[in-house]
Amino acid sequence: MYSKFMKFLSSLRFTLLLISLLGVMFLAGLWIPQRSLLTQAMYNQWKHNSPSLVAFFEALGFTSIYASPLMLILWCLFFINLALVMWQRIPLIKKRIALPEGQPGNPESAPGYPFHATYHLPAGMDGTTILSLLRKRGFAVIGDSNGFCGVKNRFSPIAFGLFHISFFLILLGGMISVYTRFTGLIDLAEGESFQGETVRYNASPQMPKIGPPPRVSFTVKSILPTLTSGVPTGLKVRMVDGRGVEHEADVNRPYKTDNSSFIVSTVGPAPLFVVQDRSGKEIDGAYMKLNVMGGKEDVFSLAGYQFRATFYPDYYLKNGAPASHSPEFKNPVFMITVERQGKAVTTGTVTKGGSLGFDDYQLMLKELPYWVRFSVFKERGLFIIYAGFALASLAVVWRFLFYRREVVGIVREEEGESLLVVAGRSEFYKSLTEDEFTAMFNKLLDTDGRTDT
Amino acid sequence: MSNFEMIFFWISLVIYSLATGGYIYSFVFKNPRFMPKMTILILIGFLTHTIAICARYQAQGHLPWSGDYESAMMGGWFIIAGTLIVGWRNKALQALATASVPLVVIMMGFGVMRNPVLTPMAASLKNYWLYIHVYFAWLAFGAYTLAMAAGVLYLMKRKSSKSGVVNPSYERFPSLDRLDELIFRYVVFGFITDTIMIAAGAIWAKDLWGSYWSWDPVETWSLISWLSYGICIHLRITFGWRNERLAWLAIAALSTVIISFFGVTFVVDSSIHTFQVR
Repeated sequence: MYSKFMKFLSSLRFTLLLISLLGVMFLAGLWIPQRSLLTQAMYNQWKHNSPSLVAFFEALGFTSIYASPLMLILWCLFFINLALVMWQRIPLIKKRIALPEGQPGNPESAPGYPFHATYHLPAGMDGTTILSLLRKRGFAVIGDSNGFCGVKNRFSPIAFGLFHISFFLILLGGMISVYTRFTGLIDLAEGESFQGETVRYNASPQMPKIGPPPRVSFTVKSILPTLTSGVPTGLKVRMVDGRGVEHEADVNRPYKTDNSSFIVSTVGPAPLFVVQDRSGKEIDGAYMKLNVMGGKEDVFSLAGYQFRATFYPDYYLKNGAPASHSPEFKNPVFMITVERQGKAVTTGTVTKGGSLGFDDYQLMLKELPYWVRFSVFKERGLFIIYAGFALASLAVVWRFLFYRREVVGIVREEEGESLLVVAGRSEFYKSLTEDEFTAMFNKLLDTDGRTDT
Repeated sequence: MSNFEMIFFWISLVIYSLATGGYIYSFVFKNPRFMPKMTILILIGFLTHTIAICARYQAQGHLPWSGDYESAMMGGWFIIAGTLIVGWRNKALQALATASVPLVVIMMGFGVMRNPVLTPMAASLKNYWLYIHVYFAWLAFGAYTLAMAAGVLYLMKRKSSKSGVVNPSYERFPSLDRLDELIFRYVVFGFITDTIMIAAGAIWAKDLWGSYWSWDPVETWSLISWLSYGICIHLRITFGWRNERLAWLAIAALSTVIISFFGVTFVVDSSIHTFQVR
């Protein structure tokens, strides 16, 4: 029973079954809405609409299917199976890469060779020359002109092992990354410093299970968003670290330090609003990092009033209503509704340097710098994952492009002429092997003097 | 879409459609003499297709890499290039166009109905890994398409030889054994380039999204597609799946690739993948 179980566990049939089941789970993940891909509001809406279905999926862990118990079991079985299959294959690989022992077989009667041919050797060419030409073409040749065997790319089966080892490297790197991963979001405006304080991250950052969060210190010097025809084409952020060294980050070019990446993503206005009384005395004021891009409304409070702000980066009036030509910051204007105790006091627009009067005060927009949102990630083990990717890519190229080719041959004299009799085979192909060996021997002998096949 | 590009794009589409019609004519009316002429027609279409790509490059300052229209345009170009290259090296393989060109016609037709507007290079696409990722993606798609085409030829020829009714058009195809091995060879080539594509994409994703793998719908479909072809290779090498079974497998597996290139962003809008410029 045990041996039967182990046999099944280490079988390729089980591998295929597991890959298929993993594929089914991946498909299910595309069909079942995943928490990580939905906003909390959307998820709650779904839960509200289909409570029993969501409860069923949640019980199975299918709303985070890629980390669900079933998925983890499948991955565990997959790697156990992979390890067992590789272990079983080691003797086979050893056997395959070994050069044939003993006298090479007769090419005319050797079984399993789809390519057979006999060539007249040109004048001045003998068996030794043929062997040396084959060696030049990368064949490891044993024997002599009375019977030889040449093998090319004999180490190719090792690539099978390397390809599958790459899976373990990716697994190892992935596990290290999961346990050391820190994820957080932080919004920083121009001129603002950050010393790595975890309390300053938006909401609660995901802390690493092992190791500290990012230890960084920098000040954002400038933020320069670039839009061309409404398409974001750049978001340059200049920073100066604690040692006074300047760095620049952009989309696709994060600021990297202490195994952490600071990825710039969202940008928005961080205006300095000041409330003044009639005499011009400043009552209250602050830089506000407003989340108003894309027509969103944001709220801030100053001097006991609430201000609802909508932002128009490229302001104009469309049929009397405020609108924006594009998301480019060409003519930035805020539409502000001032409220007190839930009642609207006034509504109006404010431009940079301008003001909006309400009650006995006025709201001034003194400066209009930007803020930028950094997605912060810290993790270790990435180089192991990348090594896994590199190994997988190299191994798959090695195994499938540089596969084993084998020739057996003999040079014999017949009616005063030297004849080369050869047979050839390769892994994976039969018909195409014939073409390949025909072309190779024609080139090798620089002749089309093949006598028969 | 610039005027110059539009003219050459539509000329290419018309030429490829004519070639598709020509192949259908050859099979239905058993007239194989028509087939070499179709290769010349496809070559002309390929040239106008290349001009359309150059015109787009000239108009927007970067190669067409993103969005359904550009994906269809570049993908179609790679598939036609692959078809012409294998047909140039081996005349019997010119017939692969029978299945690959109609697919290109459908793809380009779908693409032009989506978003052909000229767009500047989005910040999210400005990365050297983009070129490696997308280049290998199209090589993989091209190779898998050729595998599908070889599968279609295999099944057509097999059916013809089984029925005993000789169609001289099928005689131009390579032998069944060769077609069977070609399917495997193209699948293997596609699998190699697919592997490199996924690895390059993961490395790029780390700098763009902060995670080398996010289980995004496009990523997940790419993995499903890669696994499908991995299964295909295992079935062939280990379990000896050949002939009709392998041909059907190569045809069916292409659907996973088409879904990851076009289907996911068509159905789902939660993908963070920048196949669409946002």
